[in-house]
Amino acid sequence: MEERQIIEYDALVIGAGIAGGEAAINLANTGYKVLLVEKDHSLGGKMILLSKVFPTLDCAACITTPKVSEIARHNNITVFTESEVTHIAKKGDNDFVAQIMKKPRYVRVEDCTACQLCEKACPVSVRDEYQFGLIGRKAAFIPFSIANPKAAVIDIENCTLCGACEKACPTHCIDFTMETEYYELHAKTVILATGFNLFDPLEIPRFGYGQYKNVITSMQMEREIAPTRPYNTILRPGDGKVPDRIAYVLCTGSRDNTIGNPICSQICCMYSMKQAQLLMGALPMADITIYYINIRSFGKGFEEFYQQAKGMGVNFVKGKIGKITEKENGNLILRYEDIAEGVVKEAEHDMVVLSVGVKSNPSAGKIFDGNSLKLDPLQFVAQQDFLGSPAKTSIDGVFVAGTASGPMDIPDSILSAGSASSEAISYLTRYQSL
Amino acid sequence: MKERLGVYICHCGGNISDYVDVEKVRAAIEHEEGVVFAKTTMFACSDTNQTDMVQDIHEHNLDGVIVASCSPKLHLTTFRNVTERGDLNKYTYVHANIREQASWAHSDDKLGATEKAIHLVKAAIAKSRYADPLFPNQFEAEKTIAVIGGGIAGMKAALSLAEKKSNVILIEKGNRLGGHTAEWGSLFMTDEKGFELTTRIENDLRKYNNVTILTGEEVIDTKGSIGNFELKIRRQPQKEDDPMEIMELHVGSIVVATGYDHYLPKQGEYGFGTNETVITLPEFKQLVDKSTSKSLEFKGKKINNIAYVYCVGSRQSEGENTYCSRFCCTSVIHTAIEAKKKFKGIQNIHLTRGIRTYGKQELLYAESLQMGDVYLEFDEHTLPEIHTEDKKTVVTVKDILSAGKEMEMEVDLVVLVTGMVPRADQSIGSMLKLPKGRDRFFNEIHMKLRPVETVIDGVTIAGTCQGPKNISESVNSALSAATKSFSYISKGTLETEPIIAKIDQDACSWCDKCSNACPFDAIEQIEMGGRTVASVNPIVCKGCGMCTPVCPVDAINLIGYTSEEIMSMIDALA
Ligand SMILES: Cc1cc2nc3c(=O)[nH]c(=O)nc-3n(C[C@H](O)[C@H](O)[C@H](O)COP(=O)(O)OP(=O)(O)OC[C@H]3O[C@@H](n4cnc5c(N)ncnc54)[C@H](O)[C@@H]3O)c2cc1C
Ligand code: SF4
Ligand code: SF4
Repeated sequence: MEERQIIEYDALVIGAGIAGGEAAINLANTGYKVLLVEKDHSLGGKMILLSKVFPTLDCAACITTPKVSEIARHNNITVFTESEVTHIAKKGDNDFVAQIMKKPRYVRVEDCTACQLCEKACPVSVRDEYQFGLIGRKAAFIPFSIANPKAAVIDIENCTLCGACEKACPTHCIDFTMETEYYELHAKTVILATGFNLFDPLEIPRFGYGQYKNVITSMQMEREIAPTRPYNTILRPGDGKVPDRIAYVLCTGSRDNTIGNPICSQICCMYSMKQAQLLMGALPMADITIYYINIRSFGKGFEEFYQQAKGMGVNFVKGKIGKITEKENGNLILRYEDIAEGVVKEAEHDMVVLSVGVKSNPSAGKIFDGNSLKLDPLQFVAQQDFLGSPAKTSIDGVFVAGTASGPMDIPDSILSAGSASSEAISYLTRYQSL
Repeated sequence: MKERLGVYICHCGGNISDYVDVEKVRAAIEHEEGVVFAKTTMFACSDTNQTDMVQDIHEHNLDGVIVASCSPKLHLTTFRNVTERGDLNKYTYVHANIREQASWAHSDDKLGATEKAIHLVKAAIAKSRYADPLFPNQFEAEKTIAVIGGGIAGMKAALSLAEKKSNVILIEKGNRLGGHTAEWGSLFMTDEKGFELTTRIENDLRKYNNVTILTGEEVIDTKGSIGNFELKIRRQPQKEDDPMEIMELHVGSIVVATGYDHYLPKQGEYGFGTNETVITLPEFKQLVDKSTSKSLEFKGKKINNIAYVYCVGSRQSEGENTYCSRFCCTSVIHTAIEAKKKFKGIQNIHLTRGIRTYGKQELLYAESLQMGDVYLEFDEHTLPEIHTEDKKTVVTVKDILSAGKEMEMEVDLVVLVTGMVPRADQSIGSMLKLPKGRDRFFNEIHMKLRPVETVIDGVTIAGTCQGPKNISESVNSALSAATKSFSYISKGTLETEPIIAKIDQDACSWCDKCSNACPFDAIEQIEMGGRTVASVNPIVCKGCGMCTPVCPVDAINLIGYTSEEIMSMIDALA
């Protein structure tokens, strides 16, 4: 068995997206010591990779970067990136023991200046997961420009161990001898903020994703219009042409029993209308059509946002997409049932964006002893008292924040994190007097 | 006077640099008097740049820092804190807003936007030269928290504060706790009964002796500010000639959870008030819950066919409620399913504007479709009509799901799916001066950065008084608000901004113009050396500056915006 270092904190927060980050800050500001464990290389979850956020159209980076910076610098928060909680046992009230595996980054973060010389030196190119495959990256790389920590990572799976980066690094912070570290953590409460997974459109072959280059996902479009975008303009990946007839296919992977996801993802209508508005600003000549079943703009300022999109000239078509086919010039033919007219129609677009939905990330369920952490039928963390205490899970002292319990937009994720941290503080207070 | 200034000009990842030539701005100001260096940066607020700033302050021995970026509402505090980490007084930091005021405002005129940005930065530099170090006002805070409104949000806020060992006073105007939730039978998503839910929370609440529950009591006046609010409470007379009882409470923070009103249709709106088979969703929920017979009866008549008209009082294209009320699609579908399961012979016909059963609530919609409920859809321009023909109620609708076909049906009951509206009684909002949004619900400072705080320090908002929400969403917001209020005052001491009005009492001759101008009642009259002069309460003053221009003898200065600073800015702008 590996050697384990024993550490102690008041609270363990798993997942450093906007929900986990918010919960950690709330606990830390109240004076509790928090360990924030993130499996990825950066804080910020999905939100840090978004363009602007509905309905206010604030730039996502402008809200997320200072937040992650506050987390990284907070005296009461310790951050473990590239780390996984492999097991948690509840020994008693206020007494959780967690096993944590911290994988090697092969770069000493404290010494890295993010000068990118290693990136230049590295001969290996692979798909860049932070740009959702739109471009490539090296095996020695900085995840993305506003990543936190902003430091290089060696992608050891793709690394050929040629040593070029090590030679190029001026501060000698690359260290191939780093090994996985194991920790045993004692914590009094746990917050699960493990977020969601995006629906994989390869599951719907009739939409041609992966086969037709100009069919992309909404997350890829999000990257194309983000400030830290991969190209400096909006391009269709097939041939680098600037698109001028863009279609959105809503409910891709949601409200669809054929792929086993009957529920609505509750964010895709809104983010699609947001992207449409941003695209109209960037490409004033482009036509944008949104194919929808229902438009779900239910939050504060959302219905007004929908009306604004209509007013700007976004074309809304109530219709279900049957099949997408590709023409020789890379354009796409959408066959759909026009519900308003009751007929099947075809339309040509030069780029199609699939508004992919929210799927659960069931990873949290496996961490706990036996089946003590209950999941709902769709594998989201089950909410034990949904109406009275939405953050409570089946284990007393373990709380859930953000999309780990179901689809949610950012404002709702933040309030849910507020709720989870509030419950955690109450739980911690309950045992302080004893 | 500051002589070593560092200036940062932010691209905001394109939000600014797409329209403002940030390099040109940099070049135009780098030789301004006192400027040691000027830099551009992709994201001034990023961790990397913050670290650089702290280093620069030390390395270049700066005495003033200016960032030209987004609105100070977003990041003034961020950069003040950076300045403080660089061992400078954080109030010497000066912010220039070249995003909302230049790039976004003039996205059609790049040259003009750049020119304006240059002027704004020059003005900020001019101000920075005169920016004195300031120190926050420290004072003691009362640790008790008042929660106003005893619905589900207020009760949960109070309970969570009690659990945190805070003293709480829960003030409810009505004679019982539970608000609207307690009126309901079965609730969507769990089928728990509304009153059972509120009863179990009330029972939990009553276990704590640090909670005082006041029912039948109303806040009639508020004074003071964060840390020290004075609330005047009136006890509703129980019997006609009971004397009016008035009580005063001293609290450090206030959670406002005053909820919503049901939209009440206008006389004649879809036959409401003129046709007695037309009722609202709350009335229908009560009817379904309370009826015990095998079939549903209303006014002595058996009900089979029910038409539900959605979005009544919400999503109005003509009318002031442009928003969606969020809960009602799910609520009515849930109640319609319940009716069908409970009573014989029910046929549900839904006339919708597009169903919004978001998230897992979609499962209820799927269930209702499976049970054979009929769904028709109309758009905002052709609303359904309700007629009475031979004492029968007939509904006509142009259904866009069947190519705009005109449908006509005879029904026994019409349920108007009414939404949420802000409380008609706005007294709490006016007393506390809470701002409202376009939807007339109370407004938060920032939906993502400070979603439960208001511009009135120390006052947070919970539940539906901020906007339509269902129960679990209201609870999440209530717990967030409670924690925020708790964090304001749990230490027992507070700091407030030093940027407040200051009166030159030698020049003042008390004319009361300033105290009339002050929207926060921060100025009072005092005796000093035999003269009557004005005095500013530093805790109450918000530094809004309303008083400064009205003083006939120019005896008021706003700290942080002294005449010297403002005049130098104007010179730079000219
Ligand atoms: C294309 C698109 C556009 C969007 N646009 C908007 C918008 O404009 N406005 C808006 O309000 N919302 C928008 N959203 C929704 C928004 O992204 C989510 O509401 C938000 O990101 C949810 O935050 P979260 O913290 O719950 O989850 P996540 O962002 O998924 O964060 C979860 C974190 O937990 C980590 N994690 C997961 N499992 C583990 C584990 N076992 N151990 C350790 N760490 C783990 C993950 O790596 C991740 O960092 C959009 C979503 C998409 C897909
Ligand atoms: S939010 Fe809109 S696009 Fe997304 S699943 Fe729901 S209805 Fe479909
Ligand atoms: S929730 Fe449904 S019924 Fe209510 S206003 Fe919104 S769309 Fe209309």
